[in-house]
Parts: sequence; structure tokens; C-alpha cells
Amino acid sequence: MSAVFTQEKFRGGIAADDKYWEALADGEFRLCRCAQCGTWMVPAHYRCGACGSWEQVWPLVEPLGTIYSWTRTRMAFPRTEARADDVPFVTALVEVDGTDGARIFGIVVDTGTAPHIGDRVRGEIRPGTEKSFGYPTIEWQLVDAPTPAPGAGSTEGARA
Amino acid sequence: MSTLRGSTAVAGIGITPHHKRGTGGPALKLALEAIVAAAEDAGISPADIDGFVSYGSERSEGQKMMPALGTKELRFAALAWSHGGGIPGALNIAASAIATGQAETVVVYRSLSEYDGARLQVDVAQNDTAAQFLVNGLDSPIQMCAINTTRLIEGEGVPAETLKAMAQAGYHHAQQNPAAVGHGVQLTAEKYENSRWISEPYRLFDSSRENDGAAAVILMSAERARDLTEKPAFLLSAPLGTPAGWGPLEGNQNPLWSSGFSSVAKRLWAESGYGPQDVDVAQIYENTTGMGVAAIIDHGFCTLDEAGEFITFDNLIAPDGRLPINTAGGNLAEGFIHGMGLVVEAVRQIRGTSTNQVRGCSLSLMTGGPGDAVVSSALLGTEETL
Ligand SMILES: [Zn+2]
Repeated sequence: MSAVFTQEKFRGGIAADDKYWEALADGEFRLCRCAQCGTWMVPAHYRCGACGSWEQVWPLVEPLGTIYSWTRTRMAFPRTEARADDVPFVTALVEVDGTDGARIFGIVVDTGTAPHIGDRVRGEIRPGTEKSFGYPTIEWQLVDAPTPAPGAGSTEGARA
Repeated sequence: MSTLRGSTAVAGIGITPHHKRGTGGPALKLALEAIVAAAEDAGISPADIDGFVSYGSERSEGQKMMPALGTKELRFAALAWSHGGGIPGALNIAASAIATGQAETVVVYRSLSEYDGARLQVDVAQNDTAAQFLVNGLDSPIQMCAINTTRLIEGEGVPAETLKAMAQAGYHHAQQNPAAVGHGVQLTAEKYENSRWISEPYRLFDSSRENDGAAAVILMSAERARDLTEKPAFLLSAPLGTPAGWGPLEGNQNPLWSSGFSSVAKRLWAESGYGPQDVDVAQIYENTTGMGVAAIIDHGFCTLDEAGEFITFDNLIAPDGRLPINTAGGNLAEGFIHGMGLVVEAVRQIRGTSTNQVRGCSLSLMTGGPGDAVVSSALLGTEETL
């Protein structure tokens, strides 16, 4: 494993999710499931709250999904200054196909326009750079397909 | 109903000026200034404060202030999770300590300064941003809130004009408040619409300011507060919590358009015995305007479908709007002491001393940091509401 990110790891998340980044570093898009009941655990955790199992599996997942939400960043921010030259850039939250609605962030390849909720995207794994603090990333590319209506593909619960 | 209902009250408030970032001096000194002012306001000696409660990444711990306050005995100290979401929850912790006899006089406070702290944004975020955000270009809370608010506007169809209404209401109120950072700044629709984008759908005026400062309120038993002050602000309810499906889930919260108050709001109304229709005035923590809009919806003031009709400038301003909000200017236009100024203003409304006083105000709401992993809300009331 030559992943740079392990040397300067962010402590903000839950370390059970480290395998997500390790898989990306190996060129694989893997998400966490409970080994016993199959519940998708994104972000990963140590124990499945649904069935109590402490075992997880990390199946390969096709990096294909639907934009659930997004923002286009229009200025450079202090901790992400390495992206200053990329401004404006779009970060999308993508609902991954076949995962009961698990969502993963990623930069959207620049198309010069803002995306829409419901846009179909395919992910490409990119090696870590200074911009990503050495972490490998998944970069989303708009798939040339008819755009579903906003909100389509959502598994969001009832309006509260 | 919680047995805490009305058992404690705020008897003293104190707030420093909203200093420009990096010019306010040490946070510990600011905390002392706010706490001593709150004690004087309550008519007690600062030495009598025996409990200290804060939230977020507060660094001015009670034990550090004891020599300067002349503290006789520190009997209770606690920090509410998480960030700004924990503010009303801090009031609840203080009330619990008083009601159970662990402490008598508890100060709830927050102090911030870049003089001796990290950059405010880093300090506030406790440096606990997950890799999913940072490696994908998301650094600031405004960018993360933008993800929720895109869902609110594009996903749920709530008009973007509601964001502008929130911002304009805060600035409108700041014009009557000489202590507000936004005093003298007229936020016209044109000025808002022409302001630069920060992170879509947010513009410059959608985001809270950053200041050096401190604010404090002093809680004590309702009986003692009645002896000391003419108009105690009784704490009717201040639940803290988060429902299943919410929390630090890195974009996997449901429903993502929300600010996470669904369970807390339900408890707030059940514990207090009141509902949104009874509230006279609200201080809505707005780290960003859109999250404030979602907080209003979460608390049941309107539905997603009604939001465009309800969340308008006219409805949000004192004295006659249907729900006057952020009557000192709020985080956007009064200034940002990590939301603690909103608690002080909620108390002023009960006392009748706001610069944008709502007539006959008897129920005053304060909602904590929206979208936080754990959130809380507080309802304060006059004697008649008990
Ligand atoms: Zn399970």
C-alpha cells in the first residue's frame, strides 16, 4: 500500500471507513455492508445497529449513480486552497446505484455548467494529489443520457 | 411534560461588543467580561456562580476563570454536544444541575477570539471535518450547508427567495440595534442579488459573520429568579437530540433538506405544552440562511409547500410579522459569537427590552445550530406562560 493519505490522515470521520479509501487507493470502488443482514453502512461503522453484527463486507460496487445534491464552490477556502485555480468547481453528492441510497461525495468533471439533481453520473477513480490531501478520490462524470426529473431516483424518506 | 418545565429561569444576561476578528483580545478575558456583566445584570456577585456550562469547542473553562471571578466553589461544569447545535441543550444541562441540587447559579456562555484561538472557522468546527468533505473541496460549513440547501430548493421546490427574506430580516432588525455589526448596512434586494456567490446556492449575505466576543446568561431556580428580577425568562423546555437517520453521516442524513430538528421540535412542543402557533418571536440560528429556513420548517411553522408563502420579509420582521426572527440582527447582521447572542436576545424579548421589541411577547423561541449532528431548541416564557 503506497497510499499517501495514511501519513496525514483526517481524524474527523470514523476510522471504520478507512477501508473505503484503501480500496480507492487500490483502484477499487468498494462500499461497506453488514456481513450478517446486508444493511449498507455508509459511512462504515464498527457494528451494525440493525442486527448487532460486528462483521462487515466490502463488495465491489459499480461507480454509477444519480446526483442527489451539489454545490458549485465560487471562492477559494483556507483548507482547500490547493483548489483555488479550479474555482468554480462542482462537488456532488451522488446516490450510488444498487446500494439502497448510499451517498458518496466527489468532484464533478467540469462541463462549464451547473449540474442538476437527478443527473446520471459515472465515477472514475483518481490517485491522490495535493488537492485531495493525498487521498484517492472518485470523480464523477455526467453520463450522456436523458436527464430524469429533479428528485428522481431519490430514496429519501417522507417529508418530516 | 418534563419536570424541568419552568423550574429555572434566566436572571442575568451579558454580552461584549462584536469585535472584528482578531481585535477582541483574549477569549478568556472576553468570557470574564460577559459573565461579570451577566452577574451584575442579575444582581449577584460573580463569586456566587457555582456552575459553568458551554458547548462546541469552548476553551474558557470555568476552572480557568475561578481566580478572576472569586469563585467560592465550582460545583458543576459541563459541555453540550455538538457545535452550535448544542446551545439550547447547554441551557437544559444547566437547568438539570439546578433542579437536582447540584448547583445553584449556573452560567451558560461562549467566548471566541482569534487573538489566541485558531482561525474561528477551524475552532468552531473543532477540526473534525471528515475526509469525504475535505478531499472533495468542501472545507467550510457554508459549502456543506449548501449541499443541504440545494436539496431544499432544487429537490423540494422551496423558493430561493426565502433565503433572501431571512437575510433581509436580520439586516432590517440590525438598523435599530446600534450594537449590531450590520447597523447602518442596508441590505436591499438588489444588494443581496448582486452580491458574489460563495458556494451555490449561497451568496455573501447568506453566511454568518465571524467575530471576537463573548455572551453569557445566568440560570437559577425560578423562585430565586423571581426574588432577584422583575421579569425572569422561564425555561419551559430545551431538548437536545437527534433522530435515527441524522447525525455525522457525511451526506447520508435523511431528509437531507432538513436541519435535523424533527425529533427535538416534537419534544419541545410536547414538553412546553405550546405549539408553533403560540410563539411570539424566534431567534433562528442561521449559520446560513437556507439552514435557518429549514429550521423554521422543521419546527412546524410551515410546511415545505407553504414555505414560500410563509417565509417572507414581511412575516419575519418585528413588531407585526407572523414570526419575527433574529430581532437583534442574528448571526448574519448582529454578529457571530457562535450563536450565543441569540440566547441573550431571546431573553430580552421576554423582558421587553429588545431594540425590535415584539408587543406583548410572552413566548420566545431560540433554535440551535441547524444541520449540526446533534441539535437543540429552547422555549422561554414569561410568568403567565407557566
Ligand atoms: Zn446487520
